[in-house]
Amino acid sequence: MGKVMLEVKDLKTKYVTRFKEDVFAVDGVSLKIEEGKSLGVAGESGCGKSTLALSLIGYYFAPLHYISGEIIIDGQNISGMKPDEVRKKVLGTEVAYIPQAAMNALNPTQKIIRFIEDVIRVHDKSLSKKDIYDMAVERFRILGLPPEVLEKHAVELSGGMKQRTVIAISTILSPKVLIADEPSSALDVTSQKMVIKMMRELMEKGFIKSMIFITHELPLLYNVTDDIMVMYAGQIVERGTAKEMVFDPVHPYSKGLMGSIIVPEEGTRDVKLEAIPGTPPNLKHPPDGCRFAPRCKYAKPECKVYDVPEKDFEEHRMYRCIYDVDYLKEAYGRNG
Amino acid sequence: MLHQLKQAFTNPKFLVGFVLFMLMLLISLIYPLLSAFEPLDMVTTGFTAPGTYVSIADVANSDGIGMNVDASAGRLASVLKDEDREKMKDWMVRFGGVAEGDIDLSDTEALLEKWQATYDPAVPQKGLRNADKQAFVRLDKDIKAATNSDGLILAAKGEDGLEEVKTIAGNTYVRTGDVVSKIVMPLGADNFGADVMTKLTSSIAVSLRIGLLAGVIATLIGLTIGLLSGFLGGWVDNFLTFLTNIFTVIPSFVILILIANAISGTARSPMLVGLIIGLTAWPWTARSVRSQVLSLRNRDHVSLSKLSGHSLPRIILQDILPYVASYVVMALILQISSGILAEAQLSMLGLGPDTTTTVTLGIMMNWAQKFSAVLGGAWWAFVPVVISVAIITFSLNLMNTGLDQVFNPQLRD
Amino acid sequence: MKNSDEVMVLKGFIKYYGKRIIWYVITLVVAVFLNFLLPRLMPGDPVKALAIQATQGVTDPSVQQKMIEQYTREFGLDKSMPEQLVIYVGKLFQGDLGVSLGQYPRTVADILGSSVGWSLALQIPALFVGWILGNGLGAVAAYLRKGMDTVVLPIFMFISNIPAFGLAFILIYLFNVKWGIAPSGGGYAFNLIPAFTPEFIGSVLQHYQMPFWTMVLIAIGGQAIGMRSMSIYELNADYVKYSRFLGIKDGKIITYVFRNAMLPQITGLAMSFGTSIGGNLVAEMVYSYPGIGSTMFKAISTRDYPLLSGCTLMITIMVLIANLVVEVLYGVIDPRVKAAQMESE
Repeated sequence: MGKVMLEVKDLKTKYVTRFKEDVFAVDGVSLKIEEGKSLGVAGESGCGKSTLALSLIGYYFAPLHYISGEIIIDGQNISGMKPDEVRKKVLGTEVAYIPQAAMNALNPTQKIIRFIEDVIRVHDKSLSKKDIYDMAVERFRILGLPPEVLEKHAVELSGGMKQRTVIAISTILSPKVLIADEPSSALDVTSQKMVIKMMRELMEKGFIKSMIFITHELPLLYNVTDDIMVMYAGQIVERGTAKEMVFDPVHPYSKGLMGSIIVPEEGTRDVKLEAIPGTPPNLKHPPDGCRFAPRCKYAKPECKVYDVPEKDFEEHRMYRCIYDVDYLKEAYGRNG
Repeated sequence: MLHQLKQAFTNPKFLVGFVLFMLMLLISLIYPLLSAFEPLDMVTTGFTAPGTYVSIADVANSDGIGMNVDASAGRLASVLKDEDREKMKDWMVRFGGVAEGDIDLSDTEALLEKWQATYDPAVPQKGLRNADKQAFVRLDKDIKAATNSDGLILAAKGEDGLEEVKTIAGNTYVRTGDVVSKIVMPLGADNFGADVMTKLTSSIAVSLRIGLLAGVIATLIGLTIGLLSGFLGGWVDNFLTFLTNIFTVIPSFVILILIANAISGTARSPMLVGLIIGLTAWPWTARSVRSQVLSLRNRDHVSLSKLSGHSLPRIILQDILPYVASYVVMALILQISSGILAEAQLSMLGLGPDTTTTVTLGIMMNWAQKFSAVLGGAWWAFVPVVISVAIITFSLNLMNTGLDQVFNPQLRD
Repeated sequence: MKNSDEVMVLKGFIKYYGKRIIWYVITLVVAVFLNFLLPRLMPGDPVKALAIQATQGVTDPSVQQKMIEQYTREFGLDKSMPEQLVIYVGKLFQGDLGVSLGQYPRTVADILGSSVGWSLALQIPALFVGWILGNGLGAVAAYLRKGMDTVVLPIFMFISNIPAFGLAFILIYLFNVKWGIAPSGGGYAFNLIPAFTPEFIGSVLQHYQMPFWTMVLIAIGGQAIGMRSMSIYELNADYVKYSRFLGIKDGKIITYVFRNAMLPQITGLAMSFGTSIGGNLVAEMVYSYPGIGSTMFKAISTRDYPLLSGCTLMITIMVLIANLVVEVLYGVIDPRVKAAQMESE
């Protein structure tokens, strides 16, 4: 077992809407990622994926609020730190973030290199402009980005180039954990491929030590990450390796979610397309008991009463359902 | 529409603007009706400070009541200003032979006693100009009148010269309510002696009418050009946009002056001035309507209407106009405000309405300028006018900002 | 590759601004045409009115008739409209704006030449200072919210709604009549002759204060409101969040935000010059400041048509140049605009 890069214990956060209502979008999430590994997070929109991404950074500002839980990065617990300390010691070097809408993530009136200077100077004031420039050119070159980009303004770059530039900037300080929130969703297919290739390279070349990749596009996860975690209504419902999760999901929700996609690889022919009926619950007032129960076709009355704990199986896998694994598999078999 | 209206009234900016505006409007409509004067009546002979004026003859003829109050102290204070005290001291030291250290300016009683003992106009006053000598005589007279507790003797012209009618004691008072002839001028009178409050309120009404006319005309022209240009596209759009851009860059102020100057004198009635302002103020409205229409043109409901073969007027009336209505209302509000300002500017330059029957806010300011109300210290002839213009335009702008927040939710904070 | 890239950009740049300059020239032509046409199109006979005024008190009708003939000749009104236009434009090219009637025999160009400088020296610095103070206030208001939003900003908004000449009245009354600490008007003390002496310059600066601050005070409110909403918009932009997540300090991020909010305000600079120039010129007149405002007022009150026409043309040219300068400036310093301009090619 490798060194644990990121460990999250029972993290709970909420965000507050304009009308002062609490939305519990991350409700007791625990996870662990080892060095060199990547974890994908999948789920429908509104399940708390993006909030999870923001919560994992450990730096909270309105409308997002921390409630409880721990985030431990490479042995260092950052949950107890003051915001300013997090900002100075953690952001950029320990944890880095790639936002969903990279289109607007860069200041339009600033040259890329000026922004990189600002980012690096937060952590190391000793570097000269020349040092930073050389460093940036080197990194851009390795990642297959033309160094001319450095002298341009964000508005002069195409969408795909902008996204790749954002990725390069986010990882310029070689963070231990990279959190990527739908980094490729808004792009065309060609750009998507380039972004994915880049993410893989970052891992291979050791520029990042671990990665969490959040997306609603499951085939992408299957191709990019080692493990996959399925999230529903602010909680993790199942976790396993990418292959297990796509071909052998256990939780009824994972089953439905995986059924709703086509993986363009071998062995997926017998997976039927089926949509999950109903809509995800309102996280302002999450339902009692199993949160998926109202939409689950295997649900029994007691599902809606008792909270379901996370259950480990097959050594490394985890799921959250009152049925045991064999019963579920049998039920899936019956349903064809 | 009703919903939007409701929303507008919950917006604090709009509400404050609306209340201020209605207040000005109501005052302008009601006060002239209540006022004892016509706006142009020459009530007095020139600049007159604000206040209530009572007839001196009425007061003299009233039966007063004796009060056990010494009125001379108050009168003295009003007669003896600091500079007068200095002057008295100066005179006494130079010509009265009083030592400088003996005079205490703050002790009114002692000062007066010394003055009455030493002052004598007959003493040779070397080094004083005649006018200065006269000033001392007047000062002495004022002091005597103020300290006189014996009262005044009222006389009338009779066959044998003056005949005493009655004596008014120094401590006689009359109830102001008993004085019949009274003139109330809350804002005084201007250079023509007209009551400023009456004139101001009636000016506000006229200026608002000018602003409204200018605003409506500018909005109609701007709306038409904007609609045609945005909806028709092609060369019509190119031409109209070209025209609009040119007239947004050439200051409308300049065109306004050229036109107003060319219309000679008496032909320039207030409404004609409003019309001219409207004719020069449309470009901004045209611009914003056009950009709104452009964003609407390719919406589904418009395309559907086009495919259904609806006529152009029908599409514009049914599918476009309702969506730009809010912008048009906002533009109209701004146009009214800038119309009022434009009238004031023109009038200041002497190119405003040329009329002897009505007054506008601009004309009032022009007169204040012409008759040096400012340097003459007659603040009441211009401060209320300036503040009125500011309140009206401020309230209109507030309403506009408020509506903007209602119609463009992303502007809400 | 880099070089050819830059050449391309430069080419696009020249092409874009070439087009814009041509557009401004066309606008100028329209303005000149209007300046020529409007006074001539209107009903009534200005020449007759002029002659009547010039011969007031003279009973002999033949004198009046002679006056009319003389004025008609002088203005070239005996010729056809197109001919007049050709003459007008021809003279314009030689810088000949005619002879003033009110200050005969001074030429209009001469009179304008001595007043334009005064106006520019007053209005342009006032505009800049007002713009900077307004933007500063707007930025602070966007950052602090409360207090500022409910008290300071409304006060400046109210002031900005006072017509410039109205504020001039009030300032003269307060600072000159009441407190006696400022001159009532003029460009310099009456007893001085323009020269580069410390005394004269001191006097000019003293007389400069009130008109200057009048225009500044009025400009602040409008700029502040615009800057405030732009700043709030920028504060919510994605790049602010992203920069925070990379650990960049708030102080630094604020500089991004205000720079981005301020740049579009540059267009507001040109716009406010065009819209405020009317009020400001009238304020110049109230202060008897020796600029175009006072000259124009003199021209109107003495029915000096050539001089008025020169004034209006001058004002238009000033506004056009201001717009062009601001447009170029904005395109050069804001990369967003540059990109948009290159795209439109």
